[in-house]
Amino acid sequence: MKIETIITAFVVLTVVWGGLFCFIRKALFYEKKKSLNG
Amino acid sequence: MKQQEFFSSRWALIISVLGIAVGTGNIWRFSRVVAQNGGGSFLIPWVIFLLLWSVPLIIAEFAIGKYARLGPIGAFGKIAGEKFSWMGAFIVMVATGIMFYYSVVTGWCLRYFFSAASGNLMTIDNHLDYWNQFASGNLPLLFHFISISIVAFIVFRGITNGIEKFSKILVPTLLLILFGLFIRAITLPGSLEGIKYFFTPDLNIILDYKVWLNALTQNAWDTGAGWGLIMTYAIYMRQKEDISLNASLIAFGNNSVSLIAGITIFSTVFALSSVDALQQISQSGPANTGLTFIYLPQLFGKLSGSIFINSVFASAFFLALFFAALTSLISMVELATRTLIDFGIGRRKSIIFVSVICFLFGLPSALNMDVLINQDWVWGVGLLVSGAFIAFAILKFGVNRFRNEVINGIGSDVKIGIWYNAIIKYFVPIQVVVLVSWWLISSVSWDAEWWNPFHRENAGTALFQWIAVIIIFILQNNLMYKKTVENSK
Repeated sequence: MKIETIITAFVVLTVVWGGLFCFIRKALFYEKKKSLNG
Repeated sequence: MKQQEFFSSRWALIISVLGIAVGTGNIWRFSRVVAQNGGGSFLIPWVIFLLLWSVPLIIAEFAIGKYARLGPIGAFGKIAGEKFSWMGAFIVMVATGIMFYYSVVTGWCLRYFFSAASGNLMTIDNHLDYWNQFASGNLPLLFHFISISIVAFIVFRGITNGIEKFSKILVPTLLLILFGLFIRAITLPGSLEGIKYFFTPDLNIILDYKVWLNALTQNAWDTGAGWGLIMTYAIYMRQKEDISLNASLIAFGNNSVSLIAGITIFSTVFALSSVDALQQISQSGPANTGLTFIYLPQLFGKLSGSIFINSVFASAFFLALFFAALTSLISMVELATRTLIDFGIGRRKSIIFVSVICFLFGLPSALNMDVLINQDWVWGVGLLVSGAFIAFAILKFGVNRFRNEVINGIGSDVKIGIWYNAIIKYFVPIQVVVLVSWWLISSVSWDAEWWNPFHRENAGTALFQWIAVIIIFILQNNLMYKKTVENSK
């Protein structure tokens, strides 16, 4: 596999899927915080 | 007017809005555009425009809906001022124009699901003939009627018992089916070639402006940014609900689904195609039908030696496509319904009126593919104008005030920084101006009679229809403002 293929796949998947994962974690964190604060 | 209903939780809101964003555009349009624009060369600008177009505009739509608590016509009156309700009306017109033919497309997906589930689709020799026979007959009318009836029933039940409840079933099922197909596709022998193409950038075309413009259009298309649909759902978000985090989650969630769908389609086509796989993905056929309704059914027939197994995968694919279309259609019907509610008409009467109108105005598209292609062209490109109007409304309101008071106001978990001002003030308008100019110049170059409003796909037909509705809406502006904004006080 070419190096540019690996780099593109890494960048695209990291930004899109990584971003999604990060935002889900943040949303879960704030939801938990809100439920603890009533 | 007192707010009656709200989405019950953050997750209910996110799933329902994800239902808007994840549509047929993620599944078949995305793959086609990637194939036409050099695979990985397209994905890089596509990710950049996710950040520069989709996320800022989805944030804007959420904020406008939550602040105004009115559909686009009233919301524009409140945000941009009483002289600009017509811009909101244009946004409603764009979404409604798409709704008329989208119901027909939803019907096609349902028809193909039935055909695949019954096993018939896997026994057909000539899929092109099968498609042509279906499209030229009366069956599209029946399935158009069934689609709009299902959606009317869901919207009729209201936000919590209708849209939220059904989205909670349809969206996770859609994602589950897509994930199942994804796993099957990447484990097919030869699928790696498809994945390689999908991620390999063609360095010769990476700086081609067309690749960048297509990446922006695809983002505008498949995230639902600028359609006014998210603005409508945001009317029903609780006051304590966050804007920026939810908007980002939806934009990234939508593009994640596009990647899953893209990898699935590229893997399947490269693994099973005996002819030029790339040509098959990139050829669209009428209204993008080539890949989805003609070529993919052929490929599903080659998955294994068993008609039963092939039918299971084909029916799962078309069920996913139907659910994706259905959840997007629900939001379009809700947008039109909410607009009538803002004018003081009851929800029950509004939904009946919208359903009947949708069925009647969808008939030309169900009967004649040329009409469908024309409407797809006119209102599809109209989305860019809608996005520009949203940016304009925020500029009129004051970008800083909008960011501080509305986005970062009550309920916000994550505060948005000053970068947002630059994107709304400069990046969104520049993107629209460049894209619309490119579109006009290209239209002139490929059609000598570019001005002729009676052509199927040219600048003239789009400009004629846009200008006609804009003139009507400007003439009715004061009336619309009074009926929506002043009546809501």
